[in-house]
Amino acid sequence: MVMMKRAPGLVRAIGGVGATVARHAGGMGILAWRTLAALVQGQVSLRDFTGQLFAMGAQSLPLVLVTSVLSGIVTSQQGGYQFTGSIPLYVLGSVVTSSVVLELGPVLTAVVVIGRVGARITAELGTMQVSEQIDALYSLGRDPVKVLAAPRILAGMPAMILLVGISNLVGVLAGMLAARLTVGLGHATFLYGARLFWHSYDFFYSEMKAWAFGLLIPLISVHMGLLTRGGAEGVGRSTTSSVVFMIIAVLVCDALFPPLFLN
Amino acid sequence: MIEYRDVYKAFDVPVLSGVSFTVESGETLAILGPSGTGKSVLLKTTIGLIVPDAGGVFIDGQSVFAADADQLQTIRRKAGYVFQNAALFDSMNVFENVAYGLPEGALKKLGRREVTRRVVRSLEEVNLDPSVVLTKLPAELSGGMRKRVGLARAIVGEPQILLYDEPVTGLDPVNAVAVDRLITDIAERTHVTSIVVTHDVEGALSISDRVSLLEGGKLRFLGTPDEFRRSADPLVRAFADRQAAVEAALAGSARSSRMADAKTPVLP
Repeated sequence: MVMMKRAPGLVRAIGGVGATVARHAGGMGILAWRTLAALVQGQVSLRDFTGQLFAMGAQSLPLVLVTSVLSGIVTSQQGGYQFTGSIPLYVLGSVVTSSVVLELGPVLTAVVVIGRVGARITAELGTMQVSEQIDALYSLGRDPVKVLAAPRILAGMPAMILLVGISNLVGVLAGMLAARLTVGLGHATFLYGARLFWHSYDFFYSEMKAWAFGLLIPLISVHMGLLTRGGAEGVGRSTTSSVVFMIIAVLVCDALFPPLFLN
Repeated sequence: MIEYRDVYKAFDVPVLSGVSFTVESGETLAILGPSGTGKSVLLKTTIGLIVPDAGGVFIDGQSVFAADADQLQTIRRKAGYVFQNAALFDSMNVFENVAYGLPEGALKKLGRREVTRRVVRSLEEVNLDPSVVLTKLPAELSGGMRKRVGLARAIVGEPQILLYDEPVTGLDPVNAVAVDRLITDIAERTHVTSIVVTHDVEGALSISDRVSLLEGGKLRFLGTPDEFRRSADPLVRAFADRQAAVEAALAGSARSSRMADAKTPVLP
């Protein structure tokens, strides 16, 4: 009987979540479509685009470098600890390179960009929404999608592609250095192992992830920012929701990549 | 001419319940009413910032809500909107904020010199010194200055309609009177059609050709300031009497102040 009573509530809750996800997905689909239309019609300011590219890419670089150095070191140390005495150590070169390029580089860079850029975009646009600056744009005959959303969404992809490329390189170099310092694996042996199992496709796979994350992060953050209602509290609420949605979206997308692109 | 025809809007609860009236070209209409009666919502429907659930708004005979994107942009360019908290763009300085009120691509079409001339003229019209404020960011301005910059941005494109959303809210009485005077000056000089949403009864009666009172999402009163003062409607009386009470209190306060001044001993 208890189950009978609970079931409709559970079904309602699942339905509610489904409806919310569908509503947000629809909103983001329209936003992406309008951004594409603005790009094709040449209505996106190059100055705004390059400004956003600088803010997302160049200004995120120091934090991305720190994260990638640490991820390379940790992967190398753990691999060295596990392989010493059991597996030839040159395999460490392959493990570090594959882990960094296929997984850690794109995902950790995405997490850094979510925290540094995604949250900022939602808070910035949310504040503009609750302080009527978005209404002011409309009243002045401007389209906020063209003026605010499109430059941010379009800058996300090249910024992430560049950041992930740099992160991969730095992560592998840090891992190589750590391997020498911790388990005494020489650079030449590390690189021999890395080359032995390396596929050129891995690089494109990594950059495809970067492209996907670079689309998702600003798309979600802009969408959530423009939906903000209810003053300072509303800005806080939508920023938190935005960060949660971005992390979930990136991890779900990351989980979908191997079955779709690694077979 | 702006015509509101049977406008309905609800956000969970009804806010506007069939509002109909017309604002003639060149007229200044003040909209008064208790908080939460849909004054600002009605103002935002004028240029399609809020879409009503039913009814329509017509500007010079053209429906705002039947307009396509280009037509809506044209309608919006006819109007200047002064927001309650000015809604200046935080990342832009005063010059950029005011210049943003010009049509898109104005810098290319008009040239920097002409854009600067128009921005400076607009700032002077709202009694701001361009040499002082031009490069300041909104965060560096006082509340009164922000309102004036918002007004300068609204008038720089020489609109045919000006919409004011609580232009004196949050201002001290001196600045409030100054802003009211600006609204009157601009209306007299440019013959612009103005709608002013306000809580300031005294200001509304002094600046407007007609006054309306919204209550419970419906139009309760529409008439001249004199008709408003003489109205027997209890709610109108409450607004008018409150204003009279405020005026009496202010007069009393001024008298007490003068008496206190007279009694204050001169310090050595």
